[in-house]
Amino acid sequence: MNKTDGLIRDIRAIKEKYQSKRAALLPALYLAQREFGWLSPEALEFVAEALDVPKASIKGTATFYAMFKNKPVGRHLIQLCTNVACMIMGAERLVDLLRDKYGIEPNGTSADGRFSLVIMECIGACDTAPAMLINEDFYDNLNKENIIDILENYK
Amino acid sequence: MITVTINGKKITLEKQVTVLEAARSAGIKIPTLCHHETLEAFGGCRLCLVEIEKIPKLQTSCTIYITDGMVVHSETERVVNARKAMLEFLLINHPLDCPYCDKAGECDLQDLAAKYGPTTGRFAEGKRTHPESYDDPVIVRNMERCISCTRCVRMCDKVQGASAISMVNRTSKTFVEPFSGKRYDCEYCGNCLSVCPVGAIMSRMYKHKYRPWYIDKNINTICSYCGVGCSVTAQVKGDSLVRVVPEMGKGLNKGLLCVRGRFGYDYVNSSARLKTPLIRRNGELQQVTWSEAFKYAADRLRDIKERYGSEAIAGIAGGRCANEDIYIFQKFIRGVLGSNNIDSIANFSYAPAQRFFERIFGQGVTANSIQGISNSDGIFVVGGDPTSINPILGLQIRAAYQQGIPVITVGDTPGLKRFATCMLKPNPFTETALLVSLLSELKVKKQFLGGNSSFERLINNISALSMKEVEDICGLPTDNIASAVNMLSNMTNPSIVIGKDILQRTDGHINLLLLSAIMYLINGRVYLLSEFPNEQGLVDMGCLPDMLPGGRPIEIESFKKRYEEIVGLNISSTHGLSLSGIIENAYTGKIKAIQIIGENVLSNIPDSNYVGKAFSNLELLIVQDSLMTETAGLAHVVLPSLSWLERKGSYTNLERRMQFMGKAVEGDGLEDWRIISEISKMLSFDMGYKGLEDILSEIARVSPLHKDITYNDISGDECIWPYKGEPLRHGVSLEGMDVPDIGSLLKKPAKDRVYAVFDKELFHPDSLSRKSAAISSISPEPCSRVNRALADRLSVSEGDYLNISTDAGSIEMAVKIDEDIPENVVMIPNNFEGKGIFNIMQWKLNPVLKCPVLDGNEVKLKKAEARS
Amino acid sequence: MKRALLRNIDNTNSADINEYIKISGYASLLKALEMKPSDVIDEVKTSGLRGRGGAGFPTATKWAFASMDPKFPKYLICNADEGEPGTFKDRPILEKNPHQLIEGMIISAYALSAEYGYIYLRGEYPNACNILNNAIKQAYGKGYLGDNISGKGVRFHLHVHQGAGAYICGEETALIDSLEGKRGQPRIKPPFPVNEGFLSRPTIVNNVETFANIPYIMEIGGEQYAKIGSPQCPGPKLFSVSGHVKTPGVYELPMGTTLREIIYTHCGGIKDDKKLKAVIPGGISTPILPADKIDCPMDFVSMPRYGSMLGSGAVMVFDESTDLVKVCLRAIKFFEHESCGKCTPCREGVGWMRAILKRICDYNGRETDIEHLLEVSENISGNTFCPLGDGAATVVQNFIKHFRGEFESKIKI
Ligand SMILES: Cc1cc2nc3c(=O)[nH]c(=O)nc-3n(C[C@H](O)[C@H](O)[C@H](O)COP(=O)(O)O)c2cc1C
Ligand code: SF4
Ligand code: FES
Repeated sequence: MNKTDGLIRDIRAIKEKYQSKRAALLPALYLAQREFGWLSPEALEFVAEALDVPKASIKGTATFYAMFKNKPVGRHLIQLCTNVACMIMGAERLVDLLRDKYGIEPNGTSADGRFSLVIMECIGACDTAPAMLINEDFYDNLNKENIIDILENYK
Repeated sequence: MITVTINGKKITLEKQVTVLEAARSAGIKIPTLCHHETLEAFGGCRLCLVEIEKIPKLQTSCTIYITDGMVVHSETERVVNARKAMLEFLLINHPLDCPYCDKAGECDLQDLAAKYGPTTGRFAEGKRTHPESYDDPVIVRNMERCISCTRCVRMCDKVQGASAISMVNRTSKTFVEPFSGKRYDCEYCGNCLSVCPVGAIMSRMYKHKYRPWYIDKNINTICSYCGVGCSVTAQVKGDSLVRVVPEMGKGLNKGLLCVRGRFGYDYVNSSARLKTPLIRRNGELQQVTWSEAFKYAADRLRDIKERYGSEAIAGIAGGRCANEDIYIFQKFIRGVLGSNNIDSIANFSYAPAQRFFERIFGQGVTANSIQGISNSDGIFVVGGDPTSINPILGLQIRAAYQQGIPVITVGDTPGLKRFATCMLKPNPFTETALLVSLLSELKVKKQFLGGNSSFERLINNISALSMKEVEDICGLPTDNIASAVNMLSNMTNPSIVIGKDILQRTDGHINLLLLSAIMYLINGRVYLLSEFPNEQGLVDMGCLPDMLPGGRPIEIESFKKRYEEIVGLNISSTHGLSLSGIIENAYTGKIKAIQIIGENVLSNIPDSNYVGKAFSNLELLIVQDSLMTETAGLAHVVLPSLSWLERKGSYTNLERRMQFMGKAVEGDGLEDWRIISEISKMLSFDMGYKGLEDILSEIARVSPLHKDITYNDISGDECIWPYKGEPLRHGVSLEGMDVPDIGSLLKKPAKDRVYAVFDKELFHPDSLSRKSAAISSISPEPCSRVNRALADRLSVSEGDYLNISTDAGSIEMAVKIDEDIPENVVMIPNNFEGKGIFNIMQWKLNPVLKCPVLDGNEVKLKKAEARS
Repeated sequence: MKRALLRNIDNTNSADINEYIKISGYASLLKALEMKPSDVIDEVKTSGLRGRGGAGFPTATKWAFASMDPKFPKYLICNADEGEPGTFKDRPILEKNPHQLIEGMIISAYALSAEYGYIYLRGEYPNACNILNNAIKQAYGKGYLGDNISGKGVRFHLHVHQGAGAYICGEETALIDSLEGKRGQPRIKPPFPVNEGFLSRPTIVNNVETFANIPYIMEIGGEQYAKIGSPQCPGPKLFSVSGHVKTPGVYELPMGTTLREIIYTHCGGIKDDKKLKAVIPGGISTPILPADKIDCPMDFVSMPRYGSMLGSGAVMVFDESTDLVKVCLRAIKFFEHESCGKCTPCREGVGWMRAILKRICDYNGRETDIEHLLEVSENISGNTFCPLGDGAATVVQNFIKHFRGEFESKIKI
């Protein structure tokens, strides 16, 4: 089976939920992002075709949202919140730590392609700040020690 | 009635409009950047802020609607300060490169900054940077200058319907981009650049060549590409053309243009322009003086007329010539040379279709306003893609669709793919069966309105074909047809848009009858797509073998007499040869001399081989043209005529609207009418015109339709059919209209063969645009289209070349994959020299319409050898 | 007070439909289905419920507009975008009590004759997404969703729609554009969503917490509900408390509970018993309050009198050691990052404020910078398309208003 056959099927299933093809765009972009790793031009064209929405306009949508990746990312995506609550609880020190230990710049990828780091706005975990998502897994109450232990589970 | 007070001025309006519109209607200027009259409101730039009493916050006048008793102030200190602040914000990321920017002098931002002027920029940090993009052949993007007003994107999405560009990113990193980030992949209408208020999207054609204040003259004229007749303005510095632009809100196009109108004007300066008369000597075309050329042409014409008689002479007129030229031309051929053998390509489908509809429904039945399309309650498109043949008319269909009006298409209409409610794509050349079945179903669903009982009787006599029967022939599922029938039967005021393709068929005449019947049943309004700017003019000026100016049949003695009296020449009352007849008779040697004005016959009709042979049999071929064409290449006498922009005149568009063409620059050559008058003088008939006025006043006397017409009328806003004249009122005549034999339609096309289908291209509708460097840079070579399955079978992929051959010849062409065409079809355009579909077609004519037919051309395909 | 919105959350299985039914879940729905739709709206009207998304608009009024519009279908949208920094009050409902939200939506859909519903869930809550999807599946299984709800011929279909990281999509018209697959930018109003919303149809957008209140109103009756908390805006309210308090978290308290009570009684006071410096009471866009203003009752009507707003009820507490200029800069960076780019003052002005704040923070500030900052903020204020840009201006203005000294000390060094 072609790798994108499943994707087509999933997108078709999503379309059922809406009375407009275009409304299925955000979910379809999520699926394509998972399948292609990022929203490459091929991925966008794929979605454009599947939903019959003009591709330039899909690009406009895809580049609007922070969680859509418009460039390739590492194997694991660290999404670390540094908004006020996390900041006053020490999130900035964690950013420094990631830079020192793994050589990842905010919005960059480590040289070995293992991690990409995205600085997030509030992710709704202010009571247990600082917090982050790695891919789709959620971690909070972070500090300089436990963040390393957590990251080491992602190879 | 709503009364508002703006800056102390009371304004009373009938409709609830925005504060901005109310202010503008009273001549009060409120600055705007994101607002544009052709686009829906956006409210983003915040420049149009005004103070409204009883509302605490300033309001954007472009989005807020007036209410009775509202009191508005648009120039208070508070408002002016806010405006200044908005301008200061906009300049944060705007490069202050006005000395370098082409927009300087016509930039809204520059003008506003000059008026409200934030003083010095207080923003100290670095500006956003973004290199200027020259990735596109005709458009430059400078996104540092973009102010995110989104006018271009709204234009592209909502009006043009191309959706080729979009705003990308958010925050101050927002800018405009086509999908590729580099080149545009679109219809290149360039409407985005005409709405950009700053220098962010511009044309490359006049990049760094001028400043607006250098322009000496603005000349209004009409685009020379198609039968819509869009208004454009030619801007001139000294004696050279700087650029051609539309003027927002003006003309029937309201400032919109298509790629041809916007970028295609540079053919005027093409290196293929003819500069001096040429005469063939020893097989070679050699430069001669005008008087030599006139004398030569006149002597040869006289000689042939004496030796073979008038019937051996014929004239072919072109659809880009002005009314004045073609009027004189038919007068010359008819009166001076004594032959009614005069015709044009208009008679291959446009004219017969019009005549057919007029016979049943009366003269003027096709004179409908293009704007009216979006006011109808349904649209039926058949026989061609309006968005590529008559693009600005096509926009009306897209607009209608976006308002929820159902659009039904028959055949290949790629430009309406996202704008059609129901697309019927029958197997190639089986439209007739489909039309019969649509008619059969509609007959059941709709009642006759009455009023034309003989036509009703005729319709009733057409035997039925059920959807089930045609399902197989046309390859269309019955529910697809049924939904079209449903939509059609619910329409009360539909537009029926008809392209040539449906007529240029072996059964084209039957299709015409069926379309008339459908139109009658659903009370439709007909639009005939027209490929040339003055195709209607050819009909109206009498460039037909059997019609005099004003659509008067030549055999009616009173018309003929009136003509002879005013013109001062006697003419024959027998019908002349039609265009196909002229060519056939040249082929067989009965026609000895042909004079052509402004038509590249060799390239523009199928098959080119046959036409070429016919022309080489001639003793005399006179070609008047502004460009060196394939046809001129065969001529004995070539006479350079002035091109569009170099001469005045009038055009009549497909709505039958007459419009005035202005003269912007001088050129080499003479107007066609002047060339003809000179030859005529040498043949001892001095036409004696001093200028266009004389010609028009003669037209106004000869053609009852154009009675009393003057250039004042033509340059006014609306000069529409029947002008001030008298249409020909005649009874309905169904004489000679036969009930078609339906049985013969029950043929299925063979599945295992591949047929050539004529692809009407947007960029190159015929052979003119290839002389435009700009359009050629967008579309440099012809491309054929096949679907994926066929491509796979042939092992070709996009960019490879196909070898396409028939018994008539073979061509090689790059190939594009297009999923939307049937597997047994190859779409082939006809726009480049020696590489068009007409090069491989056989001369076959429709038995009734006498036009070449384009159906059933079986081709053999193979991958072409690797090309360097 | 007995918890009404988070009553079940100590149960580890609280997201399961059977657990919810055990505490009489979906009983309110069955009760509502026996009533006339208009009576349901009346009940909500009696309750005095105001929207919990931030603006505090009376819920029944919005519903009445939508139900008067004759166009169909109508759409019901739950705003679960929860993007306002400091806000995480909807999360416990979404993750631990999803059925109360779903039940609330079904009742609302019935009242409004809406046939389709979407929960617009922020992309940053992937767990909540799974939980909600599962809960919806269970509700379909029990016949509470579908074409014939509880055999009453009522039709309502509900789906989760994930956002993708854009704060502005919490604004209801931007949310609708986003749901339509477009760039999430606010729309011109009017037309309002209640008349022309999703796919140009009447659309009702309410916050998660607003919907979660509906089953409770049905259960105890509008009249009873109206007696809870502040008279002008009654009911239970969720407060998400973060920053320098001993026990941060989500607290369900009656509307009108004072900030002092929230911080000192419920959250155990300031961490490490430091001194309180300032509080942002309702999410980052609401004006910051200095320590001496914390006796304000937290409700929509009282807060403006104290110079702030209830907003989403997201209380952010700062102790004496906090560098508020840095907090201000971080807040403005947030607004800059989230500006949708539609209107000039927000798109360009907020970045300008960030640039000035950055210089001040870096001790490169100029003498005129504070005035300059205020001037820029005033030029933004009131001139933006939507409240986001205003929010940014408010932040700067109020930080300077109450803590000017801190800014000055960084400049004068
Ligand atoms: C910039 C901005 C962000 C918003 N974010 C949210 C949000 O995250 N969640 C929410 O429920 N409402 C948010 N709102 C309020 C919504 O626009 C809307 O008023 C609310 O969803 C209505 O629901 P309610 O009446 O139940 O409060 C936001 C408004 C603005 C202007
Ligand atoms: S204030 Fe303007 S730019 Fe900012 S989010 Fe609202 S509309 Fe967008
Ligand atoms: S013109 Fe009104 S906001 Fe731009």
